[in-house]
Amino acid sequence: MIRTELKRGTAEIAILSVLEQQPLHGYEISRRIERDSGGALRFTLAALYPLLYRMEKRGWVRGDWETSDNGRRRRCYKLLPSGRKMLAPLRAEWADLFRAMRRVARVNHA
Amino acid sequence: MPDWLAYVNDHLGRVSLPEAESLQVREELATHLEDAYLSLRENGVSESAAIRLVCRQVSSWQELRRGILAAKSEAFMQNRVSQLWIPGLVTFFGSEVLLVVFDVLGLKPLVFHPGDPSSIVFYFPWLLSLPLFGALGAYLSLRARGQGLPVHCASLFPALIMAAVLIVVLVVALVLDRHASFRIVTSVFAAAIINWICLPAIFLLLGSTLLQLAMKRRAAAD
Repeated sequence: MIRTELKRGTAEIAILSVLEQQPLHGYEISRRIERDSGGALRFTLAALYPLLYRMEKRGWVRGDWETSDNGRRRRCYKLLPSGRKMLAPLRAEWADLFRAMRRVARVNHA
Repeated sequence: MPDWLAYVNDHLGRVSLPEAESLQVREELATHLEDAYLSLRENGVSESAAIRLVCRQVSSWQELRRGILAAKSEAFMQNRVSQLWIPGLVTFFGSEVLLVVFDVLGLKPLVFHPGDPSSIVFYFPWLLSLPLFGALGAYLSLRARGQGLPVHCASLFPALIMAAVLIVVLVVALVLDRHASFRIVTSVFAAAIINWICLPAIFLLLGSTLLQLAMKRRAAAD
């Protein structure tokens, strides 16, 4: 249970954080997270899309279909104000968690 | 290049979502796989290896289908509560409390054929207040991003609850009192439908429609 919640929490903050920088489509979101985490965080389709749909319905992000110059349609996700509001408390929670883990298990983040 | 949409259609199977939503999900997944494939190819990976690597991105289609359905149904339940149940219950309890208040204040309804069990009752003060409640239900539902049926149901909620109650009462009456004349039961039931469902529904719908027209006009003006 904790593991699932922790994983979901990790994914939520990761997605919100990359969308804070710019709107991205699903594949770019997963690539950006993988790149920025040095390959430590990887999303499968089964993890990414259910989470994006959940966040969209909560009003944190919005996906809009866009057609590129070469005619390909892709759904681009944009961070909404309510999603932006979620980021600060999520970051504070994670900072608390890191501090607690440092004290309890002597875990240091790089 | 492989047809990734056909690949998704083959593997994802039937997803219990509205057709348009299901098509969008499939198209989005196919686009993701196509992007992954093109990226691998740009990096010099051979076609067969790229296809193999992309196909590995989904370890379990069943898990993906379940995840999508869970996410969509969670949203569906949340929407149903905020767009239908909360506005509907506010409308229902508000209108019923006002009916009790009018009754306590001694405001009497206009009754046609008094004494007749199938008399028609016009509870005018209450009926005239119903457009406000219909508008309130519609407003709360619209504010929760409701549209179409949930908005209408939220504003008509008091009438819908009465319809459900009357159906239960009719069934119980017919089952418990088998000697009751079917003609009398149906005429009483018909009068109750007019008094407590049709008339309130008309006034509730009037309020809801006026509110929606006003909001549309305001949106057009903005």
